[in-house]
Amino acid sequence: MGESGGSIIRTAGLGKTYRSGALEVQALRGVDFAAAPGEFVVILGPSGSGKSTFLNLLGGLDTASAGKAWFREQELTGLSERGLTLYRRNHVGFVFQFYNLVPSLTAVENVALVTEIARAPMRPDEALDLVGLSARRDHFPAQLSGGEQQRVAIARAIAKRPSLLFCDEPTGALDSATGVRVLEALTEVNRATGATTLVITHNAAIREIAGRTLRFADGQIVEETLNPRRKAPSEVSW
Amino acid sequence: MVIAPLSRKVLRDLWRLRAQVLAIALVLAAGVATAILGSGAQDSLTQTRDRYYAQNRFADVFADLTRAPLALLPEAEALDGVLSAEARIVKTARPELPGAAPATLMMVSLPGTGGLNLLHLRQGRLPDPQSDREVVLSEEFAAAHRLSPGAPLSLVMNGRRMEVTVTGTAISPEFIYALGPGEMMPDPARFGIAWMPRAPLAAAWDLDGAFSNLVLRLAPGASAERVIEALDPLLARYGGTGAIARRDQTSHAFLDAELTQLGAMARVLPPIFLAVAAMLVHITMSRLVALEREQIGLLKAIGYSRRAIAWHYLEFVLLIAVLGIALGFAAGAWLGAGMARLYAEFFSFPYLVFSRSPAIYGLAALVALAAATGGALQAALKVSALPPAVAMAPPAPPAYRRSLGALSDRLALPQSLRMVTRHLLHWPLRTAAAILGLAMAVAILVASLWTFGSLEQLIAVTFHLGERQDVRVAFAAAEPPAALQEIRRLPGVMAAEPWRSIAARLENGPHAKRVAVEGRPAGPQLSRVLSPDLEPMAMPERGLILSEALADALDLRRGDLVTVAFLEGRRNEATLPVSGISVGYVGLGASMELDALNRAAGDGDRISGAALLVDPAAMDEFLAAARAAPGTGTIAVKNLVLARFRATLAENITVMVSVYVGLAAIIAAGVVYNFARIALSEQGRELASLRVLGFTNAEVSAMLFAELGLVTLAAQPLGWLIGHGMAAAMAASFASDLYRVPFLVGRDVYATASLAVCAAAILSALAIAGRIRRLDIVGVLKTRE
Repeated sequence: MGESGGSIIRTAGLGKTYRSGALEVQALRGVDFAAAPGEFVVILGPSGSGKSTFLNLLGGLDTASAGKAWFREQELTGLSERGLTLYRRNHVGFVFQFYNLVPSLTAVENVALVTEIARAPMRPDEALDLVGLSARRDHFPAQLSGGEQQRVAIARAIAKRPSLLFCDEPTGALDSATGVRVLEALTEVNRATGATTLVITHNAAIREIAGRTLRFADGQIVEETLNPRRKAPSEVSW
Repeated sequence: MVIAPLSRKVLRDLWRLRAQVLAIALVLAAGVATAILGSGAQDSLTQTRDRYYAQNRFADVFADLTRAPLALLPEAEALDGVLSAEARIVKTARPELPGAAPATLMMVSLPGTGGLNLLHLRQGRLPDPQSDREVVLSEEFAAAHRLSPGAPLSLVMNGRRMEVTVTGTAISPEFIYALGPGEMMPDPARFGIAWMPRAPLAAAWDLDGAFSNLVLRLAPGASAERVIEALDPLLARYGGTGAIARRDQTSHAFLDAELTQLGAMARVLPPIFLAVAAMLVHITMSRLVALEREQIGLLKAIGYSRRAIAWHYLEFVLLIAVLGIALGFAAGAWLGAGMARLYAEFFSFPYLVFSRSPAIYGLAALVALAAATGGALQAALKVSALPPAVAMAPPAPPAYRRSLGALSDRLALPQSLRMVTRHLLHWPLRTAAAILGLAMAVAILVASLWTFGSLEQLIAVTFHLGERQDVRVAFAAAEPPAALQEIRRLPGVMAAEPWRSIAARLENGPHAKRVAVEGRPAGPQLSRVLSPDLEPMAMPERGLILSEALADALDLRRGDLVTVAFLEGRRNEATLPVSGISVGYVGLGASMELDALNRAAGDGDRISGAALLVDPAAMDEFLAAARAAPGTGTIAVKNLVLARFRATLAENITVMVSVYVGLAAIIAAGVVYNFARIALSEQGRELASLRVLGFTNAEVSAMLFAELGLVTLAAQPLGWLIGHGMAAAMAASFASDLYRVPFLVGRDVYATASLAVCAAAILSALAIAGRIRRLDIVGVLKTRE
C-alpha cells in the first residue's frame, strides 16, 4: 500500500494499545481508512470507541502501536517527535471542544500566533473574516461567547491554509444555535480552502452536513455511510 | 490512629508538590539557620569570653611606663574605683630560632598569687618562681616552633643572650588576639608571649624593685575613664605613656569587632530569607487554592466549615514551616557549633561555653512560622470566604488587558512575547515579589563579594603605594641619628630611611585619642603617607597629617589646631595645625616631619628605627646581621607580613563567601523554581495547546523561559542597588579604630553576582524543562482547566 491513490491521508491496519501496569487497553484495532482532498467526513461513536485516538494518530499527536498512516507520500508512523511537530505545524489545523485559546492574546493575536510560524498563511484578519468575527478581532477570549471563541479557534486552525482540519467535538460545549453557527464556519472553510475536514461528534444530526460518515465502536470502523445530498448546517438542529 | 481525610490530603499534597515544598522549606531553613548561626555563635563566644575574663581575672586598665618603683603600687591601688593592681615587667625579647624569619617574644612577668591576667596552662607546668632560667610560652608560638616542655630556648633580652628552658605552654585572656608590633594579623610563628618570674626580667632590664607595666582591676561599676584620669598623672613622671581601658586593649578590641560583625550577620540576613520565604509561600498557596477551588466548593457543599477548610490550607503551610524550621535548626546548630569552634580556635579560648539558648531557637521558629502563615493567610481567607456554589463553578477566565496598548502592534511584537509580557503584568504583585526575591540573592552576593576587591585595594594602597620598604627595623629604644649609618652598613641594605614614633595624646575639645605620632623625612621615599587621591604627601614643616579615621574621630579638618600631649621623653605639650588628611586603613595614623616631631617632643634628635630596601639575594644575610646588632628591637619583613595577612584573610573570607554564595543560590533557586512551577501550572494547558498547533518543544519552552528571563533580568539592577547599600552599611559597620576597609564595589562584583544568580536561575529552569517536554498534549484537549 505505498501509493497514495489520490487520497491525502490514509491508514492501513492502524492500532493503538495503551498499557497501564498489567492492564492493556486496545483503543484502536487495525483501522483502514483513506480520505480524498477536500472531503468532509464526520466520525460518530460512543465514548471510548476509539474515534479520538484515531484522530490523534492522524493528527500526529500520538504514536501508533501497530499499522501505518500516510500523509500524501509521507509515512507518519515513521516520523520522529520533531517530524510530527513539523507535520502539525505545516499541514494540520486542530479545533477542540474547549477551544484552547490563549487567554492572554486577543482574537486576532491568537490567529497571528499560528500565522507567525506558518509557511504560506493567510492574513489573520482574512481568517477571522472567514468565520465572521472581524468585528471582535481585538477582544480577549474572556470577552467572547463560547461560540465566538470556537470560531476564533477555527480561524486559528485554518489561517495557515492546512491540508487537513481535524475537529474533536467542536460543538460539544455549545448550544444548538451557537453550534450551527460553528458548523457553518466549518463548512464554509472546507469549501473555501479545500482542507480535508474530519469532525468527531456525539451528535448524529451533524452527519447530514457531511459527505461521508464513519461510525466507530470498540476501536474499529463498524459502519461507513456516504451522503450524496449534503444539508446546509442551517437545515439541521439538535 | 485514624487520620482524618483532610489531613491525609495535606500529606499527599505535600508529597505531590515535594520539590516546591522543599524549595520553600530550604529558604525558610536558611533564615532560621542564619539567625541561630549568627546569634548562637555570637552568644557562645560572648559567654565564653566573659567567663574566661572573669575566671582569669582579666584587667580593666592597662598602662605602660618606663620605670616606676614598686612603692608606687599602693598608691595606684588606693585610687578610687580600683579593686586590685599588679605591677609587671613587660618587655620584648628576640628568640634565637632556626630559620631566617625574625620573631619577637613579649616577655611578661608571671602574675603573682591573686594577680591579674592569670594564665591558663595548656601543657607542662609554670616556671619555678625561684628559677631564673624557666619560661612558659604562649601555646601557638610554642606549637609553631615545636617547642614542648623541656625544650631549650635561647633569648636575647636587652642585648644579652640567655639560655632558658620551656616548662610549659599557656594562654591568657590578655592575648586572645596576639598581635605583634607592626603586624596587621596575628602570626603565631613570628610573635608570641613568654611568661617568666619577675627576678630574671628585672635583672635583664635593670628593673629591680621597679616595674614597667601596670594593670588594674576595677570595682564593678567603676568608670575606667575616671580611674585613668587619676592614674595618668601618677605615672607621668615614670614615663607613663597613658593608660588605656579594656575597650582599647588590642586583643579585646579585635575580639569585640569580630563579635559585632557576627551580630550584624544575625540581624541582616534572616529577615531577608524569611521575607522571601513568606513571598514564596504566598504565591504557591495562591496557586494551590486556585487549582483546588472546585474541591473547596465541594467540601463546603458537603458541610465542612470555613474554619476547617482554612485550617486545612494553614496545616499545609505549617508543615512546610516545621520542615524548614527543623532543617534550619539542624543546619544552624551544626554550622553554629562549627563556627564557634573555628573562632574559639582562632582566638585560642581555653574552652567553649556552647550556648544553645532556647530563646534564640524559639524566636527563630516563631518568626519563621509567622512568615509562613503570613504568606498563606490571604489565600486561606480567600478560600474560606467563597460561597460553595461559586467555588464549585470554574473561575472566570482571567481577564487580560492590552497592557502595552497599541505599542505591541506598532513594535510588531511576536505573539509569544505579548503572551510573556501580559502574563507578567497580569500578576504584578507576584512578578514584583519574584523580582525582589532574586534581587535579594544578587544583593547578598554583591554585599559579600565586594570585600575581595576592597581588600585588594587595601593591600595595594597599604603595602605597595604606602609602605614600600622591604623591612622595617625598630630599635629597642630611640637612638641618635647616627644609628642610621650603622643600619646602612648592614649587608644587602640598598636604601634606608629613618622614622621616629612617639606615643601622644591628641586632643580637640572633648575628643581625645591616644596614638603614635610618626616622624618621617620631609620627602619620604619608602614609608610614604598618601593623600585621599593616593598621591604621596610631603611632610609639612610644622603641622600634622592625620589619617581620615583619626580626623573623623577627633572631628578635625585641615587647618584646625590640635593639642598634642607627648607621653614619652619630656612629655611636652604642643598645639599644632592639621596640615593634611591622609588615607589609612589600618589603625589611626598621625605623621609629622621627623625634625619637626623631634623639636615638638623636645628630647633631641632621635630615631626609633628605619625603613629599608634590602637586596633580596642578601636578605638572609641581612636578617642574621640585623638580629645580631645590639640595638635591634623588632624586625618586620613586609613580604611575611603581607603573606600572613593574605593567608588569614583568605581563610576567613573564603569561608564567609562560600556561605553567602550558598545562601544566595538557595534563594535564587527557590524563587525561580517556584515561580517557574507556578507559571507552568497556569500555562501548562496553553503551552500544550501550542504544541498541538505545531510549536516545537524548544519554542514552547522558550516562552516560559523568556518569562523567567525577564524576571531575572529585571532583578539585576535592583539587586545591584540593594547590594551596594548593604555593602556600604557593612563597610561602615566594619570601621573601627583598628581598621577600616576601602569602600569600592567594582564592576566585576556586580557581574559575578549576576552571573551566579543567573546560573542558579538557569539550573532551576532546567529542572522545569523536563516537565515542559512531558506536557500531556492529548489530555489537554479533552479537559477544561
